[in-house]
Amino acid sequence: MATTESETENPGRARILERLRTALREPTPRPPGAEGRTIFAPVKDVMARFQKECAANITECIVTPEMQSSAKAVEDLLAVIPSGEIFVQDSPALRRLAPEWQATRSIRWSSEGGPRESAQATITSAEALVALTGSVLVSAACGGRGASVVAPVHIVMATADQLVPDLDAAFALMRERNTAFQNSYVCLITGSSRTADIEKILVMGAHGPIRLIVILAMHHD
Amino acid sequence: MSNAAHEFLRSAAEKSADLAHRQIIRRGIDSYNAANERGRSRFLDWEAARLRCQEIKWEAVNNLDRYLLEFEQRVKDRGGQVFWAENSEEARQYITDLATARGVHKVVKSKSMVSEEIHLGPALEKLGIKVVETDLGEYIVQLRNETPYHIVTPAMHLNRTQIAALFKEKLGDVDTDDPQQLVAAARRALRRDFFSAEMGISGANFLVADAGMIALTTNEGNGRLCTSVPRIHVVLSGIEKVIPRLQDLATLWPVLATAGTGQPITCYSTLAGGPRQPNEVDGPEEFHVVLVDNGRSELLANVEEREVLHCIRCGACINACPVFRTVGGHSYGTTYMGPIGSVLTPRLRGLNEFQHLSYASSLCGACTDVCPVKINLHHHLLHNRRDAVNASDRPWSERIGFKLWRWAVEDARRFRGAGWLARLGMRVMHRLHLDGTPLDPARPWNKNHAAPPAPAKSFRALWGKRNGND
Repeated sequence: MATTESETENPGRARILERLRTALREPTPRPPGAEGRTIFAPVKDVMARFQKECAANITECIVTPEMQSSAKAVEDLLAVIPSGEIFVQDSPALRRLAPEWQATRSIRWSSEGGPRESAQATITSAEALVALTGSVLVSAACGGRGASVVAPVHIVMATADQLVPDLDAAFALMRERNTAFQNSYVCLITGSSRTADIEKILVMGAHGPIRLIVILAMHHD
Repeated sequence: MSNAAHEFLRSAAEKSADLAHRQIIRRGIDSYNAANERGRSRFLDWEAARLRCQEIKWEAVNNLDRYLLEFEQRVKDRGGQVFWAENSEEARQYITDLATARGVHKVVKSKSMVSEEIHLGPALEKLGIKVVETDLGEYIVQLRNETPYHIVTPAMHLNRTQIAALFKEKLGDVDTDDPQQLVAAARRALRRDFFSAEMGISGANFLVADAGMIALTTNEGNGRLCTSVPRIHVVLSGIEKVIPRLQDLATLWPVLATAGTGQPITCYSTLAGGPRQPNEVDGPEEFHVVLVDNGRSELLANVEEREVLHCIRCGACINACPVFRTVGGHSYGTTYMGPIGSVLTPRLRGLNEFQHLSYASSLCGACTDVCPVKINLHHHLLHNRRDAVNASDRPWSERIGFKLWRWAVEDARRFRGAGWLARLGMRVMHRLHLDGTPLDPARPWNKNHAAPPAPAKSFRALWGKRNGND
C-alpha cells in the first residue's frame, strides 16, 4: 500500500482519527434543538435598522442619492484627513469615481499591492451590508486583507441594494456567490477597532481603523 | 495533597483577603453583567439561541472525525497545510521546526488559549525568536511576565494606575494613566512588530468544515493584522473547535459575543482559509493549521463528559462564578480558570493532581445557567469528584469519616445521638474558646468564620414541638 505524504510526516493524524472513531462508536443523545423557535426578531426595514445599528456600534453612515454624490462625500472626507497616501480598491466602479480624489490626494491602487503602513485612509467596496448588526461584509476581493484594517480610516462605498436583513441572509448570499471558495479571507466588520482591556473602559482604534465610514448610495446613478 | 492543590489553597487564601483585588474584579464583572444583560435582550429568544448552539456543537462533536477531514480537505484545496498533533510536544515541535526552517526572528500572536496550554511562547523564545502578544490584555500580562488572568479579559486584575506604571517602565514613551493614551502607546509599539514579524500565530474560535476556514473574532483588529501582514500564518486550535457549516455562525457569532463581552457581535468576525490566492492583493505566503488533541479524544471517549468539548471559550461561566470572583484567575494555576477550567483541567492534566479544582465550587450552578452551549458544568464537577475518589487514595481520615457518617445516618437513633454529640462538642469548644484552633474538628471552616452559638435542641425536636407532638 502506498503511503501518502501525510502518513509519513504526520503519523499522529491516523492515530487521532482512529481514537475519534473508536470514541464515537458510543453515541450521545441528540439535544432538543430550537426547531420552530425564532432567535432574532425579523428585520422589517433594512435601511432604518442598518442606520440605527451603525449609530450604536460607532460606524459613520452617510446616505447619498447616488454614487456620484457618494464620490463627492468622499472628497469632503478626504479634505480633513492628514496628508499622505490613500489606498483604493482597484475596481471599475471606484476607478470611475476616483478622478476627483486624485486631484488632491495621491492614490495607491490595490492592483499595486496591499496598503502601505503609512496609508491615511482606505476606500473599498463591500460584499454586503447586514442590517441586524449594522455590519459590513468584505472579502479579499474588496481590495485585499489589509485594506480594511491597516489605515486609521476605512471608507466603504456601498449601495442600498447591498443591504441584507440578517446574518442568515448574508451567509445565504455568500453561498450563492461562492464567496468562501473564491476568497481566502472574509470579514464581517461591525464598527471600528476598539478595546476594553483596561478597566473595561471602551477605547476606539486599538489596532485597526479609528473611523469606519459607510457611504451608502440609495441608487447606482 | 498535590503541589498544585497546596499552591491553590495558599493563593486562594491570600487573594480572598486582598480587598483591593476584589474591588477591581467586582468592577470588571459588574460592567460585564450590565453589558451582557443588554446583549441578551437583543435576542427575541435567548434560550432558543442557546439550544441552537448546543445542537450545532453536539452535531460537530459527535461527528468530529468527519468534519475535521472535510475542513482539512478544503484548507488543502486552497494550498494550506494541516498538521495533527497528538500532544503539546508535537504541536510545539511542528511550529518551532517551521519557524527555524523559515528563518523566523519575530512572531506576532493574537490570543490563543491553546498556545498557553502547550507552552508555545517559551519554546519559541528558547530558539531566540521574539514572541509578541498583540491582544492588548495579553500584551499587558506578557510585559508583566504573567499568564492571562481570564480567558477573555487577560488583564482584568489590573487597574489603569498599574498599567500606566508598567508602560512607563517598559515602553518609556508614555507617562499617563488615561486609557485612550495607554492604548495609543501600545498601538504604536505593536505596529512596529506587526510589520517586522515573519510569522503570525492565531487561535481559532471555530473551524468551519464546509468552508475550510477558521473563524476568528477580535475587537482590536490585532487578529486581522496577525493573519494579514506576516509571511506565514499559523493557526493553533483544539480539535473540538470544528463546526459543520458557515451558516451556523449566524447564531454562534452573536451568541459568542454576547456571552463573552455583551456585544451584539464582535467587531471583526474574520474567516481565513488559506494563503494568499493568485488573484488576491495580499496575505501570507503560507497557511498552516495545527490541530491539537492533547487529551481531547479521551474526553470524547467518555460519553458522560463528552459535552465538555462543546465549550466555545466565551468565559461566561468564569464571570458568573463566585469562587472565581473571590480567589481570582491566577490562583487556579491553570490555563483555563473558573468552572470550565475546573471541569477541564483534571480531565486534560490528571484527575488526581487537579482534583482539588472540582471542589473549588459551591455547586450553586450559576455557571450552568449562563453557559451559552448549555454544558451542565456543575454536574461535571460532581462527576470529577466521584471519579477522583474512585481512582485515587483519599486520606484515611476522610474514608473513616464517611464510614462513620454512613453508619450514623442509617439509623434514626444513631442519627439523633450523633446530633446530640455534635451540639455538645460545639458548646464545649465554644466555652473553652477552642473554635478554629487545631483541636477543633471543624477548624477548616471555623478558622475563618465566627461559629454561631450551638442550638440547644435538634431540628427534629424543634419541629416536633412546633407541631405539638412534644
